[in-house]
Amino acid sequence: MPKYLSVFKQLLEAHGGPGFEEDVRNLILPHLSEYASQIWTDPLGNLVGLVPGVGEGRRPRVLVSAHIDEIALVVTRIEAGGFLRLAQAGGFDPRALVGQEVLVHTQSGRIFGVIGAKPPHLTPPSERSKAAKLEDLYVDLALPEEEVRSRVRIGDRVTIHRAPLDLLNGRIAGKSVDNRASAAVLLEALALLKGMAHSADLYAVFTVQEEVGLRGARTAGFGLAPDIAIAVDVTFGAFPGQAPDESFPLEGGVAISFGPNLHRRVFKRLVDCAEKYRVPYQIELSQRPVGADANAFQISGPGLAAALIGPPIRYMHTSVETVAYDDIWQCARLLAHYVAEVDAAQVEELTCY
Amino acid sequence: MLLKELTEAFGPTGFEDEVRGIVRRELDAMGLSVRTDVLGNVIASAGAHRPGLRVMLDAHMDEVGLMVTHIGEGRDEGGLLRFRPLGGVDPRVLVSKPVVVGERRIPGVIGAKPVHLQEASEREKPIPMEKLYIDIGARDAEDARRHVKPGDPVVFATKYEELPHRMAKAKSFDDRVGCYILLEALRRWKGDLAVFAAFTVQEEIGLRGAHAAAYQIEPDIAIALEGTVAHDVVDTPSHGQSTVVGKGPAITVQDAQTVASRRFAEFLWETAKARNIPVQWRRVKGGSNDFGAIHRIGKGVLGGAISVPVRYIHAPTQVVSLDDVMHAVDLVVAVLDEIAKGGFRP
Amino acid sequence: MKDWLMRLMDFVAPSGSEAPVVKALLDDVREAADETWVDALGNGMARKRGHGPLLMLAAHVDEAGVMVIDIDPRGYLRLVSVGEVHARECVGRQVRFTNGATGLVHADPAKQGDLDFDALVVDVGARSREDAERIAPIGTAGAVEVPVVTWGQSLVTGRAVDNRLGCAVAAEVFRKLAASGRNVCVAFTAQNAVGARAAQAAAFQLEPRYALVIDGASADDMWHDHPAIGLGKGPVLKVMDRATVVPLEGKRAVEDAALRLNLPLQYEVSREAWSDTGGIQLARAGCVAVGLGYPVRRAGAFAMTADLSDAERLVDLAVATAEAWLG
Repeated sequence: MPKYLSVFKQLLEAHGGPGFEEDVRNLILPHLSEYASQIWTDPLGNLVGLVPGVGEGRRPRVLVSAHIDEIALVVTRIEAGGFLRLAQAGGFDPRALVGQEVLVHTQSGRIFGVIGAKPPHLTPPSERSKAAKLEDLYVDLALPEEEVRSRVRIGDRVTIHRAPLDLLNGRIAGKSVDNRASAAVLLEALALLKGMAHSADLYAVFTVQEEVGLRGARTAGFGLAPDIAIAVDVTFGAFPGQAPDESFPLEGGVAISFGPNLHRRVFKRLVDCAEKYRVPYQIELSQRPVGADANAFQISGPGLAAALIGPPIRYMHTSVETVAYDDIWQCARLLAHYVAEVDAAQVEELTCY
Repeated sequence: MLLKELTEAFGPTGFEDEVRGIVRRELDAMGLSVRTDVLGNVIASAGAHRPGLRVMLDAHMDEVGLMVTHIGEGRDEGGLLRFRPLGGVDPRVLVSKPVVVGERRIPGVIGAKPVHLQEASEREKPIPMEKLYIDIGARDAEDARRHVKPGDPVVFATKYEELPHRMAKAKSFDDRVGCYILLEALRRWKGDLAVFAAFTVQEEIGLRGAHAAAYQIEPDIAIALEGTVAHDVVDTPSHGQSTVVGKGPAITVQDAQTVASRRFAEFLWETAKARNIPVQWRRVKGGSNDFGAIHRIGKGVLGGAISVPVRYIHAPTQVVSLDDVMHAVDLVVAVLDEIAKGGFRP
Repeated sequence: MKDWLMRLMDFVAPSGSEAPVVKALLDDVREAADETWVDALGNGMARKRGHGPLLMLAAHVDEAGVMVIDIDPRGYLRLVSVGEVHARECVGRQVRFTNGATGLVHADPAKQGDLDFDALVVDVGARSREDAERIAPIGTAGAVEVPVVTWGQSLVTGRAVDNRLGCAVAAEVFRKLAASGRNVCVAFTAQNAVGARAAQAAAFQLEPRYALVIDGASADDMWHDHPAIGLGKGPVLKVMDRATVVPLEGKRAVEDAALRLNLPLQYEVSREAWSDTGGIQLARAGCVAVGLGYPVRRAGAFAMTADLSDAERLVDLAVATAEAWLG
């Protein structure tokens, strides 16, 4: 049964963007310790836990990743009046930022702010029909300019301030569901795996800096040199106006990715596993390298067999990202069963074309 | 005829199996040591354990194509296939072309609303990919599902044919010419050098296979064999041409991913001149090839690219000069020869 | 430092043509190093074995420029850019090529509006195509000529201040750390201006635990009363650019060092820059890489101004940060 629902919500309330994931790492660490015999953090900040398999000789090496950074903003300038200008670390829709509550992380602690825009009363009709650009937005800290200048520095990070909301049907909305949902998948999978025998050595990696170019994945893939590397990352939940191949219903099951970036045999095993253990799943097609850790894994060092699975979420990269915990749970089940069944023969097969 | 077989093979980026089969067959017949890696790259070596310089020759097996993404339902769309590009297909060349779909090689055509039914404003713009469909003749979605499925790869149905004056047309000269040149060079090359031939996958979506192959091989020198853009047609002044078909293989000075090593580029040029092989400069900055990835891998790799001019690259019907192809083989063998004799030191 | 900088600025070295500058820099540090070498991509490296974890210093040598891509039958050259150069920056300017030849850039009067390189030709005084091929063959690189001027004691303006000043800083820091017995190396990197293509290979060879990457930081004190970055206001900690986000521990180490030395510290967030720091940070299994800089006022790709006092304080900051890391 799912164990980590409340931890998931804690993760959603933690703040950690690309390059400053410390707090999120610290939240996960005690839970990872329940399963991993060795834990370390690499130079980029990836949190790695090794769960060894059983068996003599060289055991298969499987890496599973979930990136823990959320999209964030950075202060670029302090304007007259104490208003802050922003650049992005990760892809925002600036239109979804207008009116958003934020936290500015300074040396002296967090400061609450609001991303400002002109009220409709003062916006001429011609402007109202134009989308805001990030360079035109600003953060209002409601503090006098001198105080802002003494407390805030250029380069200070800014994150979204949004407590998670429980919606109907076990669905949860909030910021950083991308990709803390996958961190929850990893923890649930580790708990399930504890009750299964597996020959593979599992490296559970909570990667960093995915949102700014899959950076943690690049060093993790190279450093750990696994036989198989599976990224867990969220995909697009169904919504009107999306093409059918970019639209996955919530509770429709785990999205398993297929395409040139992903190793076809690992894909097939994942699908067979889902069928065997009755995990609901949907197939996500890609024609190019994917926008997730699996992209970096595929061309790490000598090249790796990469895969990508994940739960669908709506409203990606906004402060109301919505996921069904059920999909997180099913994803964990698939992952645990897959890892439990990896054997040396499967690794051999990876070069059979 | 090998070039015909290679260009007619079904091998869109990520689904290079048929090409891999041909390449492996040819390499086995030559008695070389051959292996396939996790990504599907085929790597052959001759003299791998010889001391001295390690030379990597590279050609990519994939071509641009399409992927079926959705089978249409209902009265108007039932049985028609939606698709997305695999690699940089020019969307303007898609409409009204015959294609081949999936493992079962089902024939289809790419169609759109006829011109009679288009608004004047629509007619002025190229037809966007979302308004094109592949039609395999299915009556409805259920019928279509018996033959194809979402995820199926698609290529153009162009046949290879030789034209007068040693010209030829086919699909995928980019980069089956490279594969052909590499195979022929390996057949002819007899010398004292550690030579690695990498037939890579997924060049068209980011030089993917080449990253892995270069890391595995750790070459001192690498040369990519590529089909490159030639726009030596009407209305194009000399500086808009890039390369000229029939004037010999082309050598890069800069492209989108590489600033060429001047010293190595001149070495290629001088080698060609010394042996009376026609050669030209690639006179454009855009475009890239596997060397763009290879040169940055590991400790860094010296080298460059030898390209065959191809008209209408990334389009269904491409045109080359077979003389350029044969001269490229001559140049590759000559370069290996020179390197083996100590004619170039990194 | 001023004379050395002015000599370094004199080299025309767009990406791919770094060899002469790299040679000059390696000659300069050779005495302090155990070994020096130039790698396959043109990076110049020097290393000194010492105690403690390995620190890599890096500064890119190259600049943005132009390259001859074609020569027409009448002897005029066609250009493409090397790195970020707008065609309009070249119109009516003299271009000095790496082989010493000089040309004058003309724009086609029939082309109005936003020019691209197709609208330009270069006159090198050739009488024919063959003549031009001898003067500046296809593949030759060059840069727009800008005379060097100094203002007062410490302001220098001209071409390639960024990043020849960074190279001078990195060399100086290397010498100081080498002299104190640390385990340190310096890479004068190639091909930064075309997208930081060679730095990762340098880091791959050296396998550092720490890296300090020295580069210019764009000043905006020409336009703002409260500039984000201004000349004369001290060294710059680079928080983020398109290639990298500074690691928290690195940021703290620099800030602590600045406090200890009582140095002012400015901060940079750049939306445009693609630094070597990213590639170095991600080489192999990663390292702690921090970008440090000196403010530079840019007027396009070819002309810029820096304050040597910022560079001198940057040297002190880099040495102090390194000493804290290396113990």
